[in-house]
Amino acid sequence: MKKIWSLALAILMVFAFASCGGVEKNISVVVREQGSGTREAFDNVVTDGTHFLEERDADGKKVYNTTKTAIQQTKTGTVLSSVASDKNAIGYISLGSVSDTINVIKVNGVVASEETVLSGDYKIQRPFVLMTKKGQTLTARAADFMNYLKSEASAEHSEAAGCIFLSDPNRRANDGAEAIEVTTFTKQATLPEGDKIVIRGSTSMEKFINSAAKGYADIYGVAAEDIFDIQLEGSSIGRKAVEDDTKGNVIGLSSASVNQDDIDSFNVCLDAVVVIVNKENTSVTDLTLTQLYDIFSGKIKKFSEVK
Amino acid sequence: MTILSAKNKEKLGKAVFATAAVVCVIAVAAIFAFLIIKSIPAFAKIGVFEFVFGDNWSPDRLDTYDSPLSGTYGILTMIVGTLSATVGALMIGGILGYFTAVFLVFYCPKKLGRILSAVINLLAGIPSVVYGFFGIVFLLPLLSNIAPNNGSGLLATSIILGIMILPTVVSLSKTSLEAVPRAYYEGSVALGATHSETVFRIMSPAARSGITASLILGIGRALGETMAVVMVAGNAPTYPDGIFSSFRVLTANIVMEMGYAGEVQEGALVATGVILLFFVLLVNVLFRLISKKAVEKSVKKQKSHRRGRISALTKSIKNNISAFTYKIKAVSICKGMALFSGILAAVVLVLVIGFIFSKGMPYLIKNPSIIYGKYEFASENITILPSIITTLYAVAISLIIAVPIGIMTAIFLNEYAGRDNILVRIIRSAIDILAGVPSIVYGLFGMIAFVPLLGGSGSILAGALTVSIMLLPTIVRSTEESLKSVADAMREGSLALGAGKLRTIFKIVLPSALPGILSAVILSMGRVISESAPFLYTMGSVITSIPTGIMDSGATLAVALYQLSGEGWYINEAYATAVVLIVLVLVLNFSAEVLAGKLSKKLKGETNGK
Repeated sequence: MKKIWSLALAILMVFAFASCGGVEKNISVVVREQGSGTREAFDNVVTDGTHFLEERDADGKKVYNTTKTAIQQTKTGTVLSSVASDKNAIGYISLGSVSDTINVIKVNGVVASEETVLSGDYKIQRPFVLMTKKGQTLTARAADFMNYLKSEASAEHSEAAGCIFLSDPNRRANDGAEAIEVTTFTKQATLPEGDKIVIRGSTSMEKFINSAAKGYADIYGVAAEDIFDIQLEGSSIGRKAVEDDTKGNVIGLSSASVNQDDIDSFNVCLDAVVVIVNKENTSVTDLTLTQLYDIFSGKIKKFSEVK
Repeated sequence: MTILSAKNKEKLGKAVFATAAVVCVIAVAAIFAFLIIKSIPAFAKIGVFEFVFGDNWSPDRLDTYDSPLSGTYGILTMIVGTLSATVGALMIGGILGYFTAVFLVFYCPKKLGRILSAVINLLAGIPSVVYGFFGIVFLLPLLSNIAPNNGSGLLATSIILGIMILPTVVSLSKTSLEAVPRAYYEGSVALGATHSETVFRIMSPAARSGITASLILGIGRALGETMAVVMVAGNAPTYPDGIFSSFRVLTANIVMEMGYAGEVQEGALVATGVILLFFVLLVNVLFRLISKKAVEKSVKKQKSHRRGRISALTKSIKNNISAFTYKIKAVSICKGMALFSGILAAVVLVLVIGFIFSKGMPYLIKNPSIIYGKYEFASENITILPSIITTLYAVAISLIIAVPIGIMTAIFLNEYAGRDNILVRIIRSAIDILAGVPSIVYGLFGMIAFVPLLGGSGSILAGALTVSIMLLPTIVRSTEESLKSVADAMREGSLALGAGKLRTIFKIVLPSALPGILSAVILSMGRVISESAPFLYTMGSVITSIPTGIMDSGATLAVALYQLSGEGWYINEAYATAVVLIVLVLVLNFSAEVLAGKLSKKLKGETNGK
């Protein structure tokens, strides 16, 4: 028995050492888990012209074209540390989470910035969406807070969160829907009545909503934690919470566009999803969407193959 | 008081203890019932065969039960992934664990042995989030030097899991090695065998079934581990193809996608939990068969005591002589392995703890306010004070629930129950199963049972209820052990002096077993503090203000660590939190160790004295 064990161990070692050597290593593709808003935004934009990373086949079945060998991380932070610790890694994160431990590269020759995202030149972007239940009368307090969120005050909170404030009324609404103007917020005499405002949804919007909640509470001179109940566990949980709202005090956050009949929504700001590589990787600075598709679908296996 | 009322009191006491014991059975039944009921629609919609044997996992969160599926839900790749990771863990943790146990029992100086055992027990107390974190920031970069990718995959997972099952394997193997009668050793040496030959040719085989049982428990642990694996496995829903290929295990599937899951997807994830439960049951049955065999064997051995032993010994010595040179080599390799393993286990602990401390301490010293600072909404100045308080709440509530039930169950099993009573057998199986249920499955159960019951959103109470069930087996088992170690003579003495059974239990037995029970309680505290998977979907996971009551949501320290490392904004704060977490758990484990030591000393004193 022991012999078998030691044999197995020996084989393991040989395996391990055989795989090292001077040849260029394969690219490690680091992605988020299916269902993440960040991944949704990335997968629905990155294309080689015929296929997207996430698409539906002829029968309407979901197809994920991301390479089977990709490393899936559930958090922005673990994507960051995976890329930061691996010279051959490539991944993507929200613009607001960029740190100096990694390099951000251009997409189609465009750097992600306020201008390029607003103009649409930077392709990989998504809206941050605020949602309430359609047809549900909000409590006075929740309604007042929504007014605050729709006002120009959100510009400051967008900046704090690293996302780009949307001032164009047409782009604040979904395509074809009625435009949503940027309003001016007027403070009520006293803090309007209502239960704690329940906020559920996207973890990517944590910085935005925390900043907004604090700003709102400061206006009335109360502590934010006394009037808000904020728990962020994912965009779809936010959508579910809004659908289940019975008291009119639930506001949902989604980091992917929402187009549902039973939800009122508006896009408060735009976030870019940026492509990141290891700090030591200076050879790759710019990739086209097609090259990104080829890398993330596993067609291109080494950075030297990128042309 | 009349005789009748005393009798009734006794009866009532027994009934109360029995009821507590039945709670364990109810808990198991409830876990199975809730998970199965919740997953039936998903099984029906997807198809049991397609679900279990399909190897394409492409979920669509918009899928509902009313419309045709657009996602594909097959988990075969993850079943294979879980099994491969378990085998890998066994190859690393199992071998290392066995040899470490041998080293501790037969080679190590006694004093050093005690320290080493304590060190290895501490390994068991380190939260799995910390292991995962260690994996990402230390192990993966190391492995990436020889790996074609960033190092994640089967090898990294096996190493981390191997370390995690090490304490289980070591402590159980050690116990069974120590239980081999001393006469075996003496006989073998008297016949001319060397120390090492005796250890590996006589003592080890004699303890074989106990060692196997320890490996099976290790398998159970490896199957159910979640948070550490998620961080190092790579998690692509595909078959593990080589030791450095991204793959996903069943538990990871649940924890990764639950946050986003729509209707059918959620059902499919609960169904994943059901499949996990099935594996746990399988391991349980295996364990049962093997320990039964062990009992039978020891009975047989006692029967054929003298003759059998000596003939076996003579035979084995003869064998030794016939292949002398080879044996010496094998034995000395084994001896080397034992030494190597013992040292390696210690090194690993130092490495894990040292690494986290070296990263976290500087920040903690510079910003001590992270521990006691006032929580400010949306502030960049992170404070973990709310998490510390949430953790305290969780510890207090879960102990208030689990400790009385656990102790009463143990009393029922040890003081009242007959050996072969069917109820007792059911209760024991229930406790064994509870001990094997993965923590993420407890989390699922809490999410679909307690959370809706308590108003639909996560709360400290819901999390604490969930984790209190998880604590039951630990408390029952350790309490029972310490009750067992109270000499029967003390009970008989008390009864002979006219005390009733209840009085005997409360005045004589429990006080004598107190240190053991206390150490069980302390270990349970450590468990609550270090767990994260059961809390994620039951208690909420956001670091917010200090909770004002048990219906508030909150993040315990371990969850806070997971969250802080999550978005990448607060990595230093995460290290600091890890330091706090480790210190807490180590202090608790150390006090448990000290208490347990006191117990054995006290008992020795008592037997000597009486």
